[in-house]
Amino acid sequence: MFARIWGTRGSYPVARADVLRYGGNTTCVEVRAENRCIILDAGTGMRMLGEALMREPGAPRQLDLLITHTHWDHIIGFPFFAPIYAAGWRLNIYGLSRTQASLRATIASALGDPLFPVGLEDLRAEVHVHEIHVGSAFELGPVRVRTAQANHPYRALAYRLESDAETLVFVPDTGPFHTLLFGDERIEWTGAPGAGNGAETRALAEMRARVIELAQGADWLLYDAQFTDEEYARFPHWGHGTASQAREIAEAAGARELLLFHHDPRRSDAELDAIVAAQRAAARPGLAVSAAAEGRLLSKGGPQ
Amino acid sequence: MKAQFWGVRGYVPTPGAAFLRYGGNTCCVSLHGAGGELVVLDSGTGFCELGATLMAGDFRDGRGELTMLITHTYWDHFLGLPFPGIVHVPGNHLRIYGPDSARGSLEMIYDNMLAPVYSPVFGLAHIAATHSFHPVPTEPFQVGQLTVRGMPLSRRAHSPIWAYRVEEAGRALVYITDARYTDDAIWREAVRFARDAEVLIHSAPYLRGEAVRDDGHSRVEDAIELALEAKVRRLYLYHHAPTRTDDDLDALVARCRGELAAGGQRLDLDAAREGEAVKV
Repeated sequence: MFARIWGTRGSYPVARADVLRYGGNTTCVEVRAENRCIILDAGTGMRMLGEALMREPGAPRQLDLLITHTHWDHIIGFPFFAPIYAAGWRLNIYGLSRTQASLRATIASALGDPLFPVGLEDLRAEVHVHEIHVGSAFELGPVRVRTAQANHPYRALAYRLESDAETLVFVPDTGPFHTLLFGDERIEWTGAPGAGNGAETRALAEMRARVIELAQGADWLLYDAQFTDEEYARFPHWGHGTASQAREIAEAAGARELLLFHHDPRRSDAELDAIVAAQRAAARPGLAVSAAAEGRLLSKGGPQ
Repeated sequence: MKAQFWGVRGYVPTPGAAFLRYGGNTCCVSLHGAGGELVVLDSGTGFCELGATLMAGDFRDGRGELTMLITHTYWDHFLGLPFPGIVHVPGNHLRIYGPDSARGSLEMIYDNMLAPVYSPVFGLAHIAATHSFHPVPTEPFQVGQLTVRGMPLSRRAHSPIWAYRVEEAGRALVYITDARYTDDAIWREAVRFARDAEVLIHSAPYLRGEAVRDDGHSRVEDAIELALEAKVRRLYLYHHAPTRTDDDLDALVARCRGELAAGGQRLDLDAAREGEAVKV
């Protein structure tokens, strides 16, 4: 199993000169194992992945798209993914089941008028939508998939993808486990983290433990690090975390490499370099720290 | 009146080194009037960059006001709206004009775009700045000393599209995007609407000969013909295709200028470039 990063940015895509190294496209990661191609999130990075797949001789024609949640930055690449307009491709979409609306309806309303001119029924690829749950576990060819819940408004999934030799864990959007963010009601930002009642404290501790368990021994842990600690104290965080919180989770999980992910759209490459340097200095021995960069290949050196 | 481009790309933002000179952000143009008026045309991701620069002045202190003219609510014209810090500062006021859809009013469309399933904002009620939404008046209206006219380009019930003409002291900028001239009547209306403008900003993602999957946009040649027929002084090709690199756009401009010169036409033509300011 190996992976390639196609989009690292959070919130919205950016196209400035100061983000060229880490990239301006929103979240998308491709995972390959044998003849499977598994795509994590459908941010704008998915457009470039689609072009690459169309060019690749013998590319897998069956694709699996695992969606963490349907916030805009995680789905806006979908209608620009060329294989969906080509015959002979089959795409299985997996995402969180909700009582309020089906995943298919959520995707269809995002893509259709008056927000965009694409109807799911217009696609030439065969598209199937599968609703999954917190704690779902299933196999996609040689890859074992498991999910846990991230602490993100209106709930989001985190994914673990594991082959016999490698493990990648994807937690692109999560706040720290100070305040519950997963309710159907909006939780106002209070300016300082603080646990609520006892039930909330227990739920947060449980969620944190499950995320750490999900990330256990990961070769690559891609984890929300949108903010600096200083920003986190000053601004509404919208359900995102900081680099030091990401490092704490990586250390608790015994991950091999932490890739800071979901970069703030205003963050420059130089600022990310400094954040990485600070986390490297603080990291326990054995934990590698980097910031996810668009185009990077994650591989233990096996055949590709 | 000063116009400035903040996003010139159509469809989807294009980060990357090959797109830096013309820019990769989606549609957004600001207009600054001599009297301090601020009018913003469309709110693609270019609005996020405009918003970042506005955060230094009145908008930082909750005293900012702007008028936004939305052509239509597709992502590349609308999805940047909730992101800049200025919309989260109480006291700021955004007066937003744009078409209602058969699926709901402009305000409802925006509220749905911010629904919990799509956005951590959890709905328009949680945006701190004041937003007022207005259907585009059929008669000209004033924003300070600027006179604004709207024209419906497409009356498709689910996603109508409008064009705008903004004038100051008799000098006009016309903004037409996602036009599709399906019949003579809409063409004649567009010519009348753009008549004698100093500046015409017109979507022009593809040439007529290009085989692309897109029936929603007129071509580069249409934009040029419209500018010529309406006797526009300067045409900016806009809403560039995401596949057009900087070099491609240089070549496109050179080709268009060459053809204009060969035909003895005096139209001033360029491709819109992010960051460029234009005196109208």
